[in-house]
Amino acid sequence: MLEASVEVQNQLGVHARAAAQLVRLANDFKSRILISRKDTNSFADAKSILSILTLAASRGTILFISVDGEDAEVALAAVQELFMTGFGEN
Amino acid sequence: MKRIGGVIVSHGQVATELVAAAETVVGDLDHITAVSIGWHDDVDLARGEIDRAIKKVSQGVGVLVLTDMFGGTPTNIAAMFIKENEVEIVTGVNLPMVLKLASHNRETTLSDLAKEVEEQGKQAIYRTSALLEPQKMKKDA
Repeated sequence: MLEASVEVQNQLGVHARAAAQLVRLANDFKSRILISRKDTNSFADAKSILSILTLAASRGTILFISVDGEDAEVALAAVQELFMTGFGEN
Repeated sequence: MKRIGGVIVSHGQVATELVAAAETVVGDLDHITAVSIGWHDDVDLARGEIDRAIKKVSQGVGVLVLTDMFGGTPTNIAAMFIKENEVEIVTGVNLPMVLKLASHNRETTLSDLAKEVEEQGKQAIYRTSALLEPQKMKKDA
């Protein structure tokens, strides 16, 4: 299993359309991708919009990504990239 | 894969706007359509519209109808179409329920999906200040 932390960069935080982008990306991979938030002890399946939204991750929130599966390495890099580019927003 | 279809039925334009909002989030939804029952619409007219909507989205594996409020006219008219394994209704539609219906992507039966959507709708309601309370306490500590 691979893990990394990311900081939510975009102004609106992980809102519905951002979550949908993450789900579309996550569904391109076979790996199981879990997003967790340690300060609230919550975690979400990156392949479910509604699960991701329950994290209520606003700008500046630190999230941990855990990826498990045969394509874990590329999947983790892709998810990190999405967060680092602020979901294409500012 | 054949998908279970979805028809959102409401008073006024709520149904249309819910589908539009869900499409903004997840993209075009060919298997979901909306029926808005006008305040003064005739029952037969409304029944005909729901009938056409069900036929439009049906791919032969069932149609889930989500209505705005139990006991309301949209639900009562839609209830005429309930048929085991063909048409199920879940009331009290909210955006998370539409998103759940929009994004189910594995083989499932109509009754199982109806139960999942019902559960999702209930679980997605939060008194948001209650979620923020533990964090406030942590900050104070």
